[in-house]
Amino acid sequence: MKELDPLLHSQLRLAVMSVLMNVEEADFVYLREKTESTAGNLSVQLDKLAAAGYITVEKGFSGRKTRTVCRVTPAGRAAFVAYVDTLREYLNL
Amino acid sequence: MEERKITGQESLEIITAMISRTRSRLNLGDGDIMLMWGYLTVAVTALVWVLITITRSPAVNWLWFLIWIIGGTATPIMVRKKTKVVGAKSYTDRISTAIWTVVGLSSLAAMAMCFGFLFLLQADTWSMMFLFALIIVPFGEIAQGIIIDEKSFMYGGSAGMLIGIFTACCIAGDVPMYAHWYLPLFMLAFVCMMIIPGHILNAKARKAQ
Repeated sequence: MKELDPLLHSQLRLAVMSVLMNVEEADFVYLREKTESTAGNLSVQLDKLAAAGYITVEKGFSGRKTRTVCRVTPAGRAAFVAYVDTLREYLNL
Repeated sequence: MEERKITGQESLEIITAMISRTRSRLNLGDGDIMLMWGYLTVAVTALVWVLITITRSPAVNWLWFLIWIIGGTATPIMVRKKTKVVGAKSYTDRISTAIWTVVGLSSLAAMAMCFGFLFLLQADTWSMMFLFALIIVPFGEIAQGIIIDEKSFMYGGSAGMLIGIFTACCIAGDVPMYAHWYLPLFMLAFVCMMIIPGHILNAKARKAQ
């Protein structure tokens, strides 16, 4: 049996990827609200996902405030699909 | 939510929970842009109707451009504000934006064509803009209704399109479209197409919240 992707097999990173798979883009505040996480923890996990090439993180401005927008990459999409397939095998679904 | 290792069952629960949290297709204020276009068009039409009845001057028709000037300025501002408030953009949002961009650009092309006929051939083709407003706009609305599965868009758009087909028959058959009956009909079309569905959408979004 294949091993579950360790990068995705973590509560917050999986939650972030699940949200991003459903939308085209989401900002930091939206992700924080949906995953019910703290800003610091979310920031660290986003960096890890971005370093793996699973998501892109774009920092910009919305008026005077900074706005961080995240998008899932094709590699991230493929990794998520593979993770779900492996999960199905594990759970015999 | 903390960063920790999880079991397979927990993974499944997280994925399911996140899908359900992001699935809500309605947000407060989603109907605002439609309401703005609906009320704006009805207000300008009523103004043109009253002034034409009082003055009988064809110059009053220049007031129609208020719809494009005010609506064209307000829409991008409202779209930007909505994206900022919601914090995420879905695939549905992208398709809806594309549909209304095509409608907007074709309206500009139609307007340019009417100006071309007016200045180069001295031909008045402005009644075509009624046809545009009641064929292309309802088509866009029905398409959006199908995408977001909102029946009021489909019914409202269909009502507008029926009035549009009636308008096409009037133009093709050289039936005079007098202000005293055609402009109220035009307003009715926009009430059905924009105002009623806009309020329904906002009410549904309020309920969903």
